[in-house]
Amino acid sequence: MADELQRSALVAKLTRPVAGLMATTYRWVDERLGVTDLVHQLLYEAVPKRGAWAYSLGSATLILIVLQITTGMFLLWTYVPSTTEAWQSLNFIEYHDEFAAIVRGMHLWGAYVLFVVIGMHMVRTFVSGSYKKPRELNWIIGVVLFLLVLGLGITGAMLPWDQAAYWTATVVTHVVSYLPIFGTQVQEILRGGPQMGPATLTRFFAIHIWLLPALLVPMIGLHLILLRRHGEHGSWVNYEGVEEETEAERAKRMANAEAPYPALPSDPGYAVPMDLDEFFPSQVFKDAVVSFGLVLLIFVMAVVIGAPLERAANPAALNYVPTPEWFFLPLDQLLVQFPQAWMIPVGVFIIPGIGTTLLMLVPFLDRTPGRQPWRRPEVMVPALFVVLFLVFEALLAVNRLFNL
Amino acid sequence: MSIAQKRISRRKFMILAINAAGAGAGLLIAAPIVGSILSPIFYKSKYPWVMVADIQHVPVGVPTAYVVMVDQGGDSWQVPKVPRTVYVVKLNLINQVQLIALSNVCTHMQCDVHWDINLNVFFCPCHGGEYSMDGTNIAGPPPQPLFRYQHKLVGNTLFIRNVLVGGS
Amino acid sequence: MPLIASTTPQLTQVPISTGMATALVALLMLAHVQFAAWQQGGYIILAVSDFMGWKRKSANYDRFSKGLVTALGATFAIGGSLAIFAVMILFLGLWGHFYVDLQKVLFWPFVGEAAAFVGEIICLYPLYARWDRLGHVRGLRVGLELLLFINASLQMLLINVVASYMLTPRPAFNLPAILLNPTEIPLEIHRFVGNIAWAGAVIALVAGIRLLLRSGRRPELRPYLDWMGHYGLIYAIGFTIAQPLVGWEYAKEIQLHAYASWYDMMLGGLSVAFLFQVFLLGSIFTVGIFYLWRRVRASGFRSPALAVCTVLSFGAWLLISTPSSLAWSYESVFAANANVPIWQGGLLIPWGAMIPWKLTALVAFTGVTIVALTIYLKYASRGKLRWGDAGRGQAFSLIAVGISVSLIMALMGFIRESSRGPFLITNQMLINQQQNFSPPSATGPALNGPASNAGVSIILPTELHP
Repeated sequence: MADELQRSALVAKLTRPVAGLMATTYRWVDERLGVTDLVHQLLYEAVPKRGAWAYSLGSATLILIVLQITTGMFLLWTYVPSTTEAWQSLNFIEYHDEFAAIVRGMHLWGAYVLFVVIGMHMVRTFVSGSYKKPRELNWIIGVVLFLLVLGLGITGAMLPWDQAAYWTATVVTHVVSYLPIFGTQVQEILRGGPQMGPATLTRFFAIHIWLLPALLVPMIGLHLILLRRHGEHGSWVNYEGVEEETEAERAKRMANAEAPYPALPSDPGYAVPMDLDEFFPSQVFKDAVVSFGLVLLIFVMAVVIGAPLERAANPAALNYVPTPEWFFLPLDQLLVQFPQAWMIPVGVFIIPGIGTTLLMLVPFLDRTPGRQPWRRPEVMVPALFVVLFLVFEALLAVNRLFNL
Repeated sequence: MSIAQKRISRRKFMILAINAAGAGAGLLIAAPIVGSILSPIFYKSKYPWVMVADIQHVPVGVPTAYVVMVDQGGDSWQVPKVPRTVYVVKLNLINQVQLIALSNVCTHMQCDVHWDINLNVFFCPCHGGEYSMDGTNIAGPPPQPLFRYQHKLVGNTLFIRNVLVGGS
Repeated sequence: MPLIASTTPQLTQVPISTGMATALVALLMLAHVQFAAWQQGGYIILAVSDFMGWKRKSANYDRFSKGLVTALGATFAIGGSLAIFAVMILFLGLWGHFYVDLQKVLFWPFVGEAAAFVGEIICLYPLYARWDRLGHVRGLRVGLELLLFINASLQMLLINVVASYMLTPRPAFNLPAILLNPTEIPLEIHRFVGNIAWAGAVIALVAGIRLLLRSGRRPELRPYLDWMGHYGLIYAIGFTIAQPLVGWEYAKEIQLHAYASWYDMMLGGLSVAFLFQVFLLGSIFTVGIFYLWRRVRASGFRSPALAVCTVLSFGAWLLISTPSSLAWSYESVFAANANVPIWQGGLLIPWGAMIPWKLTALVAFTGVTIVALTIYLKYASRGKLRWGDAGRGQAFSLIAVGISVSLIMALMGFIRESSRGPFLITNQMLINQQQNFSPPSATGPALNGPASNAGVSIILPTELHP
């Protein structure tokens, strides 16, 4: 009943600015396409009330990925994926096509900001224990998304085919040659031959613009569908006092829950946040403010700093110092710390592999009751050390590269 | 009863057929794709000899860099010659002078190494690998010595080709 | 580029031997470092405790913050006057040329240092004098504490620039290169983390001593002292966990950029001091984990996992404290032509080698301590530890950790400052030749590693770009 009222109010709202023929046309289309139902489904759902600014990070990630796809599409209008012409086409953009240079700058800075925002989104989810029952699979999908975005970042860095891109590609495609047994073969498959060449660039181009996005987009869809299915968990501030609740109070709260709550199966008390708000406009407003701020930041950085383009790739370089993108600095430092033949795979595969596996398995490893971070030292303390480790490694890598 | 049973088995057959058709179509699509992805493994590259320098100009005990255009190998719609740096080294041994042509590609992550006159080593800036004058890995992460180009001498003229052999 | 030395005024030498002057400066600086590090680490612990007391309405935190701010105010007065005394009297009087010349290279870092010192006073005084009144606006008080911490951190960052510059100098008058010299970031992380650990260790030490005193048995005081010891110890060992990794990288950078110092520390005359230093590191971890295990036991919980952690840590302690040779340093081993294993009649002990044994021990400490701390915090965060249960053993453990951390701090400073050998500034200024200082030049001699170009003419291969 309430739903029906809301629906007719929405129809009135959507058709208010138009009248007569336009309104009639809208109704005609609506009857056939179900626009109103769709908008209703997308906008009207309950979300946790407290801490909502922190929950805007997820939608900011989505907006930034859309930004990446859009700017990427239009970079293809000029970019040529060929070893002889890739650098020249980007050089043309940088010096003869100011707007395309901004688009390229936004693609780069969008990626940088995206990494920061994904990291914060992940930390937020981790600290609030949002991955717990029933949201385990959504955490795993999130980790996969993170890995896909890392892959997109590294393959994208190879495409300009300037010195930085060429040597990044060389190092990355050489890392796989340390795989046991099939290392050399995998390297040849990725490079399209024993050494870097035209086939290397086309392969990574295809991976960057088609293969990884084709995996990324459906995974995002799944992530959102699951989010809508379980409802947003929020964080511990939305569940203050659940431990002191009586059974009757809890049952009442469950019974009065608005869709999509209660999220089941769940630990007792954590199926419904204490206070709910409407997704539209309360949460959307915060999402919009945060996303706009980030897009503005990206635009400004693209105009002011832009994207660098080094000299064209030179395989015979003597004194070129390849530096990885900043989000790969900790991994680069691991390469220094694990010398010699039998240790290299430890630093390259085993440690990052263990890290990734543990990250994926977090929902199953964390057996703590409650959601407050200070009551879950079993996961918070090791995680704190992992984050500290990554930060220190990155700082040490900066120091090493600066003082060569 | 028998009709129902027959219907169920017919239904089972159709489900089986759907699965088989899906799997078959998938296989038909996947086989050529996998083949094309794997093709680089099976291609045998040819590497012709290219001239480097007159070795009389190379000083003894000083690694000297030359840039030569070599065939990069592999199979592609264009196989351009690429510039590569060759370090020609005359090693001053006790009773003879030995000539080697070192690749300047680090054996750790394939960055570019250069002869550092302060450290007196081949130094790789990527992760701090160091090699001695004959290419032996002496410090840092490199797992093996610098590779050497196959070379031959025609008179005093040094020729190399883009085939790397293990060093030291 | 004008030579700095030509513009330096002639300073009258104080009639005192170089050795005596060096000893005086060293003694004062070691004392000064202990105070300064305690202040910087103490401020962040103060901010965290006050915040926790505010948000969690905990009496222990409130009581602790008030005591801590009083202590910090008092020690700041002593440490600050020591610092001023050091600069005014000892440096200008005994090491005049060094100090004046260092001022010229590192002018802006020193100015920032002084400004942050003033900022520290401005933030600390109101907290010290008007603690309770500021408590009415709790957010302001916590903000002031954070500002205090930022000021102190800035001071430490800038003095680290000076300290790291003296070890690994870069071309003069290039401020970014001076600020980001090769050992600056490792030293910064090493000390930032170390200071918090040190402040925690002081708190643990004080709690441990007071637990042993007669007043520590009073029923209204004992639970608080027990809690305070636990609180300080968590900081002390929690932050020390990061030190092996960062210290390793720090040593790596010294090896690359100041090889002679590195050699002295690891293999030369200072290697004995370094061995004692890793012994102290092992003591911090092992005694710290021992405390965690026994403290859980004191409240009536058996934790075999913590016992295993203690044993593992003890094993790593034995491994890391094993000397690599029977002589004082590798130098004497080589000098005696005895660089063969002990069973072949030499002086080398294989179990004392850096790689892989000491490295294994360092990795073991890191891993085991993270596990032990996690298990312990599980008990603590679920309210299973009754404060007041701690016995004499725990009090002694706290004292041992506090003393170990104090010694390790003093020893680290001593090793870092002595490793430059005869130099005050590596390759630039000798300790007894302050007059002959010329600024480091961009093309200055690089003594990275053993370079010998005996009789070979080296032609620089030109960089090749098509």
